[in-house]
Amino acid sequence: MSAFLVNRLLQSIVLLVIVSIIGFTVLNLMPGGPLAQFGLDPGMTQKDVERLAAQLGLNRPLWMQYLDWAWRLLQGDWGHSFRDGSSVLTVIGRHLLATLLLMGTSTAFAIGVGAWIGIRGATHRYSLFDYCATVGAMVALSVPTFWFGLIGIYIFTLKLGWVPAGNMYTIGDGSVLDYLHHLILPSLVLSLVHVAIWSRYMRTATLDALSQDFVKTARAKGVSERRILLKHVIGNALLPMITLAGMQLPSVLTGALVTETVFTWPGMGRLFLDSLGYSDYPVVMGLLIFSAILVLLGNLIADIVIATVDPRIRLA
Amino acid sequence: MTKGSATTSSYSRRDALRMVAIGGAAGLIAPNLLGKPAHARTSPTKPTGRVIVGLGQEPTVFNPLMVHIEVDDGVHFSVFDALFRIDPQGVIQPNLAMEVPNQKNGGISEDGLKWRIRLRDDVRWHDGKPFSAEDVKFTLELITNPNFRSWRTAGHALVRDITVVSPTEITWRMEEAFAPYLSFLTETFIVPKHILEKEANPNNAAFNQAPVGTGAFKWSKRVAGDHLELVANTEYFGDGPHIERLVFKYIPDLTVLYTQFKSGDIDLVGQPYITPDHYGEAKTLPNRVVTLVPRTSFESFYLNLERPQFKELAVREALYAAIDKEAIIQGLYYGVPTPTETFMPRQSFFFHANLPLHQFDVKRAGKILDQAGWAKGADGIRAKNGVRLSFTNSTTSGDPLREQVQQFLQQTFAQLGVEMKISNLPAAVMWGDFWVQSQFDSVIVGSSYLIGADPDVTNRLHSRSIAAKGGRGSNNAQYANPEVDALLDKGARTFDPEARRAIYSRVQELVRRDLPFLPLYQSNSVEGLKKGINGFVPNGNTRTESWNALAWYWAS
Amino acid sequence: MTAIVAHAAPARWWHSRAVIRFMRHHLALLGIAMITLLVLACAIGPYALPYDSLHIDLRARFAPPLTGNHYLGTDPLGRDLAVRLLMAGRVSLAVGFSAMLLSTLIGTLIGVTAGYRGGWVGAALMRTVDGFLSYPSIFLVLALAATLRPSPAMITVIIAVTSWMETARIVEAEVRSLREREFVQAARMVGLRRAHIMFREILPNAMGPIIVAASLAVARAILLEAYISFLGYGIQPPLPSWGNMLNGAQQYLASAPWLAIIPGAAITMAVTSFNFIGDGLRDALDVRNDHI
Repeated sequence: MSAFLVNRLLQSIVLLVIVSIIGFTVLNLMPGGPLAQFGLDPGMTQKDVERLAAQLGLNRPLWMQYLDWAWRLLQGDWGHSFRDGSSVLTVIGRHLLATLLLMGTSTAFAIGVGAWIGIRGATHRYSLFDYCATVGAMVALSVPTFWFGLIGIYIFTLKLGWVPAGNMYTIGDGSVLDYLHHLILPSLVLSLVHVAIWSRYMRTATLDALSQDFVKTARAKGVSERRILLKHVIGNALLPMITLAGMQLPSVLTGALVTETVFTWPGMGRLFLDSLGYSDYPVVMGLLIFSAILVLLGNLIADIVIATVDPRIRLA
Repeated sequence: MTKGSATTSSYSRRDALRMVAIGGAAGLIAPNLLGKPAHARTSPTKPTGRVIVGLGQEPTVFNPLMVHIEVDDGVHFSVFDALFRIDPQGVIQPNLAMEVPNQKNGGISEDGLKWRIRLRDDVRWHDGKPFSAEDVKFTLELITNPNFRSWRTAGHALVRDITVVSPTEITWRMEEAFAPYLSFLTETFIVPKHILEKEANPNNAAFNQAPVGTGAFKWSKRVAGDHLELVANTEYFGDGPHIERLVFKYIPDLTVLYTQFKSGDIDLVGQPYITPDHYGEAKTLPNRVVTLVPRTSFESFYLNLERPQFKELAVREALYAAIDKEAIIQGLYYGVPTPTETFMPRQSFFFHANLPLHQFDVKRAGKILDQAGWAKGADGIRAKNGVRLSFTNSTTSGDPLREQVQQFLQQTFAQLGVEMKISNLPAAVMWGDFWVQSQFDSVIVGSSYLIGADPDVTNRLHSRSIAAKGGRGSNNAQYANPEVDALLDKGARTFDPEARRAIYSRVQELVRRDLPFLPLYQSNSVEGLKKGINGFVPNGNTRTESWNALAWYWAS
Repeated sequence: MTAIVAHAAPARWWHSRAVIRFMRHHLALLGIAMITLLVLACAIGPYALPYDSLHIDLRARFAPPLTGNHYLGTDPLGRDLAVRLLMAGRVSLAVGFSAMLLSTLIGTLIGVTAGYRGGWVGAALMRTVDGFLSYPSIFLVLALAATLRPSPAMITVIIAVTSWMETARIVEAEVRSLREREFVQAARMVGLRRAHIMFREILPNAMGPIIVAASLAVARAILLEAYISFLGYGIQPPLPSWGNMLNGAQQYLASAPWLAIIPGAAITMAVTSFNFIGDGLRDALDVRNDHI
């Protein structure tokens, strides 16, 4: 086990290096750069732009910039934002909570609803419900999230006026109820895809479990269907569920990107887009490394859980 | 003035000129009465209420000397003071200074090289420490500190021998006479020496995220990605503030920005203001005041004169004649902007009102090209001496209105036998080397040519300012006219407003004749606020709607 | 189709179990029908409609659907939405298809090589796959689209370059399991060249998962094009694509909702169809690799 962990850790570090090199290169290949936003300022001269480039270290060769950045990162210094000079971790920290709130709510909702649909679909196999759930899941996976968000705003905000069109809370209010009110639409939109994934997953898992011998035994003993479901089926599906949740960890960044844009949610997805727009390289790189670490962590957890649960799978 | 309908029309140019001439005196009579409403007595005795300003970009830079963008200005104007401010009429008024220096009152020497500023003695920083000439000296020196990531250094780089004569008096010498510097100082906010001198690295100072100024509002808190909040500085030396809290709310989507104005979630729409397509509806909203405010931003079909297609004046004239400005402004922009023939905003004292007027006439455009020898080839595109009249046009992607203008022009130009291809780029790419090093054929661009309200456009039109040819400015059309060069050099050394007016009028005539860019329109921002807010005065000479938030108050 | 033949090898391919199972899959048939309809409409429709997709008419701006001959209304420049939707369909479907072909090609090459060679070559290739997968793919796409001029061909390449990893993983796993099978060992003993074994012996037997992955890849490519064009980095106007028709539609959501609803519905329809087809193929080809 420990040999496996060491091996995986080494591989992960190599991976992080690859990720960071690709990211750094692609970012810097982008013409324009961090000083382009001042191209229209009537008072900034070419001299000012050159001075700023030198101050930000942008006039050095690319490899030197990369090594400098990587060396600092190894020492725990994630760098400072080009925009406001704050440290990158501070900037990420400022947006982390908003994303966690949105992702947490929608994931909880998705797991709850998805599990219910999946289990019901499996126990009522080939029923109208099952059929609709299957088709619904396929369609849900096919709808562009941003479009679903727009339609949601059109119906529930513009036509019905039930929920606000965006923002995390009303300035000056900020009560729990107010947060919830603002959470409803974006978390519903964001959870659509996840409900589909979870319902499909739970359906398969439940069908698997139902065909197992211990379920047949339990049935023979006269244990109620409800109890069988609760105890055996869900209990059996629980660990793999955690795995799946772990594998979805990285979507903290990507999953929320578009939703946060449509709903003006002050989270990491929008931070990413804004930073990309301003060519704030240190923040973009920070977010990339942050999300890559999440991916690796998610994969690692998944592997460990699977190995712990199922001894047939050899590690390494 | 008080109903949010202030325009420059009520104010004659002669008055403006007189005020420029007597500058300091006017300042002494009415110190810091900037935009103060005539009936300010009805304002509350104690700051009350809250105003939420919605912004389309997020303010992130709070040290006003650091490199920043327009949207940060609202915070700077509220938290800090400059030596001077510029009022809606383009007249410079004293702020931290006692008077505006000029050659008549001796604040500026006859040769324009020696400056003397007298300062107020009743100003305190938000932490209670007194403000003094030392802070001004520190500020001017910090700007030119090579390790500091400062914003514009033009003008400041000419300042030498800064001397603190007394806590209320400071003098310096200019390396060369430079009239626009007075205008530059209206956008140079003074920062506290006692806080920043302790910082080893001013670029990462804690001050930058929790600024301390002398302004009418004090820093309160910020929720990144969402909003920031300022509170009233009850010790402010001038009149105001009258509201207790000033909130800047970041709403990246312009439609949502408007929707929240409509629903009342925000009290005032800041830049980039209400989009033109919502103007018609916004005007009819109950309990809202919506006004068109002239800005300094000038929109043009901007050409790269080094491209063989555009070298000939006839081509530029023909393209100009083929632009249906009326349809663009009335149709695509809902009548919001004002057609113009010059880069100088019409509210400026230096605006030339009698330039030849553009007329849309595709037939005439065709004739001009025929006479110049640009004949249609087999592919239907005109050509001359092997040069096809075909070019690309770029603008920032994700700007639906400009994209519509492009596609509209593409269709008209095609009728003329001119091929225009569209290739749009994200802003972060567009305004980098592509723009600065003149790598484009043509672009549709809207930008201000002025700094403050000073008419000096050396940076944009002088042949010394062509970056692609090793110059130091942003004359990206690569326009070179020796007469314009000479006029610009003379204008920057001239302090007398009347003499400068003659100079810059001639510049505008020459540029209109040479057409280095095809003028489209001058922008008007659609500014909107709730009816209850009094004291709001728009100011096209600043880059922000919140330049005088200290005068705002809620009707009781 | 070779895969299906290789699998069951019956006298007539339409008698094969896979085809019969696929035909029994109602959703897959529905998907095929919808895609056929879309492709035909996009191919023929623009000739049947009385407007040109680029013709601007400022007097006819924002006409709602069913105004005169504008069956789906007009856009902010007064262009006919129906004809634009169909022209956009050509672009979006072509980009989706070509991106799928290219990404499947890349993914298959890398997957087969990694799976068959194993060792450090395989490890290096698969770690590269992991590396690509640990990016938010939208980031790579956006950064690349900003760097390169976004023509339809370039967008196709960008999408392919950022979405071949799934295929590579699936193929690698399949090939690794086939590598030690008798027929491969036999081929090795006969002394066939490595390339021959990899692509002529093993690959046909791994065709099932590849076809399934490919049909899902079309769906993903269409979605990805829509995302980047929606954000303004994709296909540039005046050339319409479903994604860039939605770009800017948010602005008119209150006054002209059809501008947002119609192209989005087209995207959903196309993507759903390909997902249905993929699902049908998975059942028919008995691919267990259930990765949704």
